[in-house]
Amino acid sequence: MHPPTETPPIGVAACACLTPFGDAPATVAALLADRRALALTPVLGRDGGDAVPLALLSPMDETLPPRWLPDLHSLALHLPAAPWGHARTPVVVTSSNFGVGSLYAFTRDHDTRHLAHGTPFATVDFLRREFGWGEHVTVFSHACVTAHLGLLHATRLLHAGLADRVLVFSFDFVSPFVAGGFHSLKILNGTFPAPYAARETGAIGLGDGAAFAVLTRDATPFRLEAQSLHNEMAHFTANRPDGAGFDTCAVALAHAARGRRVWVKGHGTGTLEAGRIEATAFARHFPAAPLVSWKGSLGHTLGSCGLVELALALAALSAPAPKIPGTVGTTGPCFTDTVALAPFAADTFDAAVLASNAFGGAHAALLLTHA
Amino acid sequence: MTDPLIARLKLLIVETLKLDDVRPEDIPDDEPLFGSPRFGLDSIDALELVVRLEKEFGVKIGSSEESRLALASVNALAAFIRSHASTA
Amino acid sequence: MLERFIHHLRVELPPDDETADAARIRLREKFPRQAVRRMTHLGLLVGSALDGLALGPDDALVYASTFAETCALEDFLTSFPAASPLLFQTSIHPSAVQQVLIGRQQPLARLWPLAGRARLVEQALLTALLETSPRVALVGGEERGTWMLAHAMASPRSFAFAALLTPDPTYALGRLSFTPENPAPPAAPCPSLEIFAQALATHQSLAWRGAGGTWVLSWS
Repeated sequence: MHPPTETPPIGVAACACLTPFGDAPATVAALLADRRALALTPVLGRDGGDAVPLALLSPMDETLPPRWLPDLHSLALHLPAAPWGHARTPVVVTSSNFGVGSLYAFTRDHDTRHLAHGTPFATVDFLRREFGWGEHVTVFSHACVTAHLGLLHATRLLHAGLADRVLVFSFDFVSPFVAGGFHSLKILNGTFPAPYAARETGAIGLGDGAAFAVLTRDATPFRLEAQSLHNEMAHFTANRPDGAGFDTCAVALAHAARGRRVWVKGHGTGTLEAGRIEATAFARHFPAAPLVSWKGSLGHTLGSCGLVELALALAALSAPAPKIPGTVGTTGPCFTDTVALAPFAADTFDAAVLASNAFGGAHAALLLTHA
Repeated sequence: MTDPLIARLKLLIVETLKLDDVRPEDIPDDEPLFGSPRFGLDSIDALELVVRLEKEFGVKIGSSEESRLALASVNALAAFIRSHASTA
Repeated sequence: MLERFIHHLRVELPPDDETADAARIRLREKFPRQAVRRMTHLGLLVGSALDGLALGPDDALVYASTFAETCALEDFLTSFPAASPLLFQTSIHPSAVQQVLIGRQQPLARLWPLAGRARLVEQALLTALLETSPRVALVGGEERGTWMLAHAMASPRSFAFAALLTPDPTYALGRLSFTPENPAPPAAPCPSLEIFAQALATHQSLAWRGAGGTWVLSWS
């Protein structure tokens, strides 16, 4: 039996992202050139601490107004014009951290103005006013699979006939709150991440990221052909060692991808055990598919990673001579032979599996196809 | 005679991890602390203990792999602290 | 029209002054002994609300909370510069549900954690009504904050609820429905999460307009 996936397909009318390298095309160009956005940065910002790999759009100490506001405005300039947040054109906001950096800043400088952005609802209400969105704004927050939830919910709204177009808007900006937290888990340390590398010490990087997608029932050049989610609920910070959690989504999409020539963009943060289990699972279900992760360059953009990396995949595929960036930051040996270290031509493939995972053994994946 | 460092570590384990129904002397010196069903302690507990140990003994544990080795047992932890600590 | 029927309903409405430690003593028999020491007040209340509701790997769960793990958030911020990994982990939405289901080792097909405030209830309900799984657990709750409450960034009350929603009207306790309208009617205020929890507890019917249609909560 194959676990259920969401079908029929849904169209991607628009998709864009912002990383420290710039927009999606600029970021893809940087990845193709093997450049790394991560740099060693004090984990607590101006409060110091160990140096850890972070990829930031601006210094992470929170400001007033919040440091992410100009960047989100910059991204929002590329939104297709529509009465976003109205009944037929709703918005789905996805983030893991929202304005939690402002909460941290308040505990440091006691400026109560930070509190206007300190909770998810306050952050989203603030963005609604900034962007002129209506009240039809749904907010999801499920750590690093959040963007996938937003895409699936948008898909369901469209297929139920409850919307004509849906905007999924996703962002996560690093703060001492988040960096300090991952540092306490000992996975954000002084080592740069090397996703899927079979080495002795695992390490992640964190990065700022923001992205949006507009989904539609209309025919578009690229489609989300299938989407799959699963929650292991085995442990907060570890996966089932037998890989069953990864298998669940992979099996579902392998079924949907039958007959297609697939490449895989995995989660690949740079942790050892999860990276090994993930690479092995994808090699098992997609043995001919090259596996890449871009977090060795951009860092992990947390709740926004699913949508940031979808935007990058689409930008790579839309280039005149499309090439898929390899796994920047990683040298061999790797957990499996399927890990692609270098860029490869996209023209021999007609579909991509894009996957993300999160705390609690949450898994999400989608099948992206060319029309 | 009880090693004072071992005794202190067992007390820290009980206090830090809120093991209200465990006496420090019930914790074995040389058995796995984490991942065994006896106390139900997992990797998050281990990391929480690491924070406390770093503060109390001035040790530094850099990665999750290093913490797994250092916290393999109370004896292993005591040996790690003796070889790394500034205040042990 | 989208509709589902309510089965297994449980609501936790503890006294305002109940602390996490008091909840731990009151509810500890419902949880694995070794897990309860790390559970938050919200996790304990959500777990109590889910008590008796067996979930399976093909089921979905929709979880709504405006403020989520307030006390873990407060305590994590206080733990800096030696940040607590346990408090960091616990502060991340949807920790309360994960505390319970990881304790049970219970996988799910899909977990939908929502944040938000003004229209959170109808957004959670719509997420549940659009679910493809026949069985959807609708869960919500808050825990009372301390210093964050003083800044209106936490709930003044702790509560939690859990209801099982299915397409089957047989022996149902109640019914939830959404009827879209075109053009969309002007929205009326949406019940707050706390009002919704109280309505579930007292079997009070609710009706309002929002999300482009009409919502009705009614009882058998």
